[in-house]
Amino acid sequence: MPKIIIDGTEIEARDGVPVLQAALESGLDIPHYCYHPGLSIVASCRLCLMEMKLPHPQTKEMGWAPKLFPSCQTPVREGMEVRFGTEKVEANQKTCMEYFLLNHPLDCPVCDQAGECHLQDYSYKFGSAESRMYEQKQVNPKKDIGPKTLLYSDRCVMCTRCVRFANEVAGTGELCVTNRGGRAEIDVFPGVPLDNGMQGNVVDICPVGALLDKDFMFKQRVWFLKGGDSICPGCSTGCAIRVDSNENVVHRLKPRFNPGVNDWWMCDAGRFDFKYVHDVKRIAKPRLRRGQESDTPDWSEIPDIVRYRFEQHIARRGGASVAVVLSPMMANEEAWLLATYIRSLAPEATLLLGHVPIEGEDERYPVGCNDDDAKFTINNEKCPNRRGVEMLIEQLGGSTCAFEVFAKKCADGEFTAAWVVGGYPKGWPTKDLTKSVKKCELLVAQDIFENELTGEAEIVLPACAWVERDGSFTNAGGKIQPFERAIDPIQGARRDGQYLFEIAGNEGLYSGERVREMMADKMAAYANVAEAPLKPAHQH
Amino acid sequence: MIEEKDIIIVDEPDLSTTEKLYLPQVVQGLRTTFKHLFKKNITVQYPEVKREQRVENYRGVHRLNRDEKDRVACVACFMCQTACPANCIHIVAGESPWEDREKYPVQFDLDELRCIYCGMCEEACPVDAIELTPEYDIVGRSREEMVFDKEKLLAVFERTKDVKPRKNPRITGYAGTGDREQSSGNTEGEG
Repeated sequence: MPKIIIDGTEIEARDGVPVLQAALESGLDIPHYCYHPGLSIVASCRLCLMEMKLPHPQTKEMGWAPKLFPSCQTPVREGMEVRFGTEKVEANQKTCMEYFLLNHPLDCPVCDQAGECHLQDYSYKFGSAESRMYEQKQVNPKKDIGPKTLLYSDRCVMCTRCVRFANEVAGTGELCVTNRGGRAEIDVFPGVPLDNGMQGNVVDICPVGALLDKDFMFKQRVWFLKGGDSICPGCSTGCAIRVDSNENVVHRLKPRFNPGVNDWWMCDAGRFDFKYVHDVKRIAKPRLRRGQESDTPDWSEIPDIVRYRFEQHIARRGGASVAVVLSPMMANEEAWLLATYIRSLAPEATLLLGHVPIEGEDERYPVGCNDDDAKFTINNEKCPNRRGVEMLIEQLGGSTCAFEVFAKKCADGEFTAAWVVGGYPKGWPTKDLTKSVKKCELLVAQDIFENELTGEAEIVLPACAWVERDGSFTNAGGKIQPFERAIDPIQGARRDGQYLFEIAGNEGLYSGERVREMMADKMAAYANVAEAPLKPAHQH
Repeated sequence: MIEEKDIIIVDEPDLSTTEKLYLPQVVQGLRTTFKHLFKKNITVQYPEVKREQRVENYRGVHRLNRDEKDRVACVACFMCQTACPANCIHIVAGESPWEDREKYPVQFDLDELRCIYCGMCEEACPVDAIELTPEYDIVGRSREEMVFDKEKLLAVFERTKDVKPRKNPRITGYAGTGDREQSSGNTEGEG
């Protein structure tokens, strides 16, 4: 851990990081565009220049070197002394900002980046209020560079982060810089649009409004959005994300820095596949079959009804006839509440892991890399918590079986009561499953959409989308990652955790943290989940 | 928390015998009343008689201006919605059908009942598209009717453009060459 002196204050830096990174981590706000910790260093924007003490060539006496050095390209060394707060450095920042703004249009009011734009922030903090440019501005064309992304090249500051991303992380290299000097532009090669599984990240790393997401285009101004720290449920990689919503509508998902899991990135599938959250066909109310009649009971009646029906059934058929299918879409807390509740009624009940959707092979980025060199992996398990549910079933012990065996045993009449949790956005349930499961005398379906299974069920409970719940997912690497609620459940529905909490006989409000505490008493693995705050080591 | 030192106790004033009668005060009050009987009325018989517009920047019903090409001048930047302290503006933006314009409001709803007529929207508008007019006598039979949509707000512009013509929008702080047409903002200087 080398110690360096920035503006007279000694700070401890991590080994091998650039001075800029050390300064940012110590809380200083140093302007920079081209530097991104996840990409190679080009030192082209010249905004982060600093003064540095070097030995005089003849006298070997340490003194401030007359020239400025790019702090992003200078690695930290023990005892080095640099400064940012000087006239020379500030004059450079001001000049750079003026150059960046020469041809930049004044269209902040209609630009989607406004509010989270680093050109805005830096010109406010480090730039000048007036422009001396009175020539006609150069207007570069707007380009449709891919099916999901637009490029407004007149807003571009040529930091080339997007080009480096396409080359180094996505590995597809669709983007390039054409022309030179003042006429330089970002472009795609003819006939090769920006279309890879990670391309959404170029919009995130663009410090200005040059690259825009077509999906989010014109939807909201960013200052209306509220961010909820969440975990992507798209696959078992478990990327940390931020759910940006306004007035209970999710507008976009953004990656959060999560070292070792997704670093700074997320894939397009995860980024754009949240639309089902606002599908009007979602189940909104609990439903109950009383004889031939279908009834919509009040939420307050549900715990008693569920308990009564299960108790009746167990008295008649015995505890071994009960099976609980825990979906890998469930949070650990919800699965635990449900599993322990059923076990409290029938200790010999079977707990099993539900359908695990698998699509193709794991996708690794950069494209064509070896498994060990992968910077990002999209898992082929399209559910967030297979590992967590498995761990839980293992910890709780007792009777369990494979999902295929469950269907068979239902068909054979071995299981006569089943609680089947779904919650999959698509591809669920299969016809065969429905055919065997509907033989059950008591079927509870907990699902997000109406399907054949919910049609057959005695009790239907609405499952909420992950943005409406809170809890934790265990990713493929075994890391337990908590996520928080971003929006309220749809009208009439309640969070899965809340009704399971009540069904299990608890009073008050469910919270992931509260249930994790209850779990930690029995299972040590859940003790220190919340003690891993994800602090961004980088500002944009 | 109010502290003891901040409390001031005011005693009731002592009244003299004549003051306790209250008669002089009654006479004084009636004198004011009768004096006004012979003065010129300052009230008017509304709605037969309407009061004159006294100030130019009277803050009445809103309007959405049309630009020189007769299109809605709003660029859907949401600045008014952001500035609005009463949360009465609701905009849905879309891609504009015109070449020189990025965004335009697909939907623009303004709840005239919820509005507090503070004029912050007019202050915030970068293209002077939303303005408050001298018109104040709006009525409706339901709350829904008082939520003015884009068409209604444009109609207010048609009604009031003679009384209060649209200002020529100019981006302030631009140290450029003077009169240059302000259209999409693509050709303008920095703020």
